[in-house]
Amino acid sequence: MKSSLRNMILSLTGLTVAIGAALAAVNEATADAIKETARRTRLEAMEAILPPFDNDIIATEVQSDGLPLYQATRGSEPVGIAIETYSDNGFSGRIAIITGFDNDGKLTGYRVLEHQETPGLGARMGEWFATAPHSVIGSSATLSVKNDGGDIDAITGATITSRAFLDAVNHARQAFQSYKK
Amino acid sequence: MLTYIAIIFSAILVNNIVFAQFLGICPFIGVSKNIDSACGMSMAVAFVMALATAVTWLLQHYVLVPLGLVYLQTIAFILVIAILVQMLEIVMKKSAPGLYVALGVYLPLITTNCAVLGTAIIAANKNFDFLYSIVYAVSTALGFGLAIVLFAAIRSQLELADVPRSMRGVPIALIVAGILAMAFMGFAGIKIG
Amino acid sequence: MKSLKVIIDGLFRRNPTFVLILGLCPTLGTTSSAITGMSMGLATMMVLICSNFTVSALKGIIPDKVRIPAFILLIASFVTIVQMVMQAWLPALNASLGIFIPLIVVNCILLGRAEAFASKNNPWLSVCDGIGIGLGFTLALTLIGCVREILGTGAVFGQQLYSSDYGALLFVLAPGAFIVLGLLIALFNRLKEGR
Repeated sequence: MKSSLRNMILSLTGLTVAIGAALAAVNEATADAIKETARRTRLEAMEAILPPFDNDIIATEVQSDGLPLYQATRGSEPVGIAIETYSDNGFSGRIAIITGFDNDGKLTGYRVLEHQETPGLGARMGEWFATAPHSVIGSSATLSVKNDGGDIDAITGATITSRAFLDAVNHARQAFQSYKK
Repeated sequence: MLTYIAIIFSAILVNNIVFAQFLGICPFIGVSKNIDSACGMSMAVAFVMALATAVTWLLQHYVLVPLGLVYLQTIAFILVIAILVQMLEIVMKKSAPGLYVALGVYLPLITTNCAVLGTAIIAANKNFDFLYSIVYAVSTALGFGLAIVLFAAIRSQLELADVPRSMRGVPIALIVAGILAMAFMGFAGIKIG
Repeated sequence: MKSLKVIIDGLFRRNPTFVLILGLCPTLGTTSSAITGMSMGLATMMVLICSNFTVSALKGIIPDKVRIPAFILLIASFVTIVQMVMQAWLPALNASLGIFIPLIVVNCILLGRAEAFASKNNPWLSVCDGIGIGLGFTLALTLIGCVREILGTGAVFGQQLYSSDYGALLFVLAPGAFIVLGLLIALFNRLKEGR
C-alpha cells in the first residue's frame, strides 16, 4: 500500500484501536481466572500446612507488617495462622512462600509459591527445609544458616537461596508476632 | 549510600546482565568482533538504557498503575523504547553529529535489544524508587559494557587461534563466554550491606 | 506439499537456534531444565504463528514505511495475550519463565519471520512457517534443556536417571548454558558438513 501520510496515520491508528480493544477483552476474560487461580493455590497450600480448619480462610485476610495474614479457625476456635511472605534476595529474583504457624508461633509448614532459583540447587528449598536434619518445621525462633552463626544447614551449594528463604520465614514470624500483640 | 554501592556492585559483577541474566546476548555475540565497535555499542546501550528506564518508570507509576492498565506494560514499554531510539537518532544527527557518527549505526539495533526492555521491566516491577531505578539501569549498562569489551578483547586473540572447522565463529565464542561466566560466578555470594 | 516443505525447512534447514542463531537470550535463560525450555519454545511458537498469520493477512493495508512499528505492535499484543493466559492458568510456569515471557517481543525470530516471510507470503504458508520455525525453536530449547538437566542433575523432565550426587551442577548454572549451546551448534555444523 502507498505510504502517504494519511494512509500511515489511518492504518496505525486503526491497528492501535483494534489491538487496544482485543487486549481489554482478553484482560476482562482472564482477570477472574487469574484471581481464582491465585485463590486456589493459596487455599491448597494452607490446607496442607495448617492444622485442620473449617472457616473461609481467604476471607480473613488482614495485613500485618505489610504481609497478608490469614486466621484459621475450627468451630470458632483459632487453630493457626498462615502468612504469605517473600524475599527479593534470592539467587535470581523473588522467592515467595506461604508459611503456617500454630497458636504458639510454632512453624507448622510452608509451601513455595513462586521462585526462579537454579534447578538442582536453590530449587530444592521445597523439600530441603522440610526434611531432617535441616528441617525448619516446628521451630519457634528466628532462623539463620550455619555460615551466619545459626543452626540451619544451608542447601548444598545454594547459601544465597537458603539465606533468602530463611529471611522470608523470619519476616513472616515478625508479622505473626505483631499480629498477636 | 551503602545500598547504592551494593546495587552498583551487584549489577556490574554479581548479577551481570550477560553472564548471569542472559539478556542482550545478540549484540554481545554480534558486535564483539572488535573492541572499537564493542565500546560504541556499549555506550549507545548505556545511553538508551538510562533514558528508557527513566521514561518507562514514570510511565509505569504515573500512567499505567493509576489507570489500572498494567497489563499493557509490555506493549507500552516497547513502543516507548522504539520512539525514544528514533528521537534520539534525529536529535543526535542534528545537534551532535560527532556522536552520531560514533553511535548512530548501533541505535536501530537497540530497539530490539532485550537488555533495554528487560531492565526497564525489572526496574518497574521491583518497586524500585526513581533514583534507585536510574542507578540500577546505569550500572546494568556498565556491566553490559564490561562484558562486551572483555569479550571483544578475547575474540580478537581468538582470530589467530587454530579452531576446528565446525567450532569456528559462534560455537567457540559461546564456549569462551561460558568460561567467562564461570569467572563471574566467583563474585556470587559477596554480600554488601 | 509446499506447506509441508516450509514446516520441515523451519525444523532443520532454517532452524532458528542452530542455523540462523537467533533468539539466544531465551535459549540460554530458560533451558536450565527440559520442561522450562519446552514451555518457552511453545509460548514463542504460539506468538509466532499468530503474528505470522496477522502480518500476512494485513500486509495489503499496512503502508510500507510504517510496517516495522506495525509488526512490533502486533507481536507485542500477542505476547501480552499469552502472558495473561499463562498468568490465569499456568501461574507456576509463568513465574519460573519470569521476564522471558514479555521479552518474546524483542526475540529477533519474530520480527525476522514477519519481515522475511510473512510479509511476502499468503496467510496459510505463513502459519506453516510459524509452525515450522516454532517447532524448530521448541525442539532446540527442549534438547538443550534435556542435555543440561541430565548432565547437571541426573534427571530429565523430572525423572531421575541417576543420583543427582553425580551431576555436574555447572551445566545447570549460567556457564553450562553457554557451553552446551556452543557444543550443540558445533555438532549441528559438523553434521551439516558430513552430509
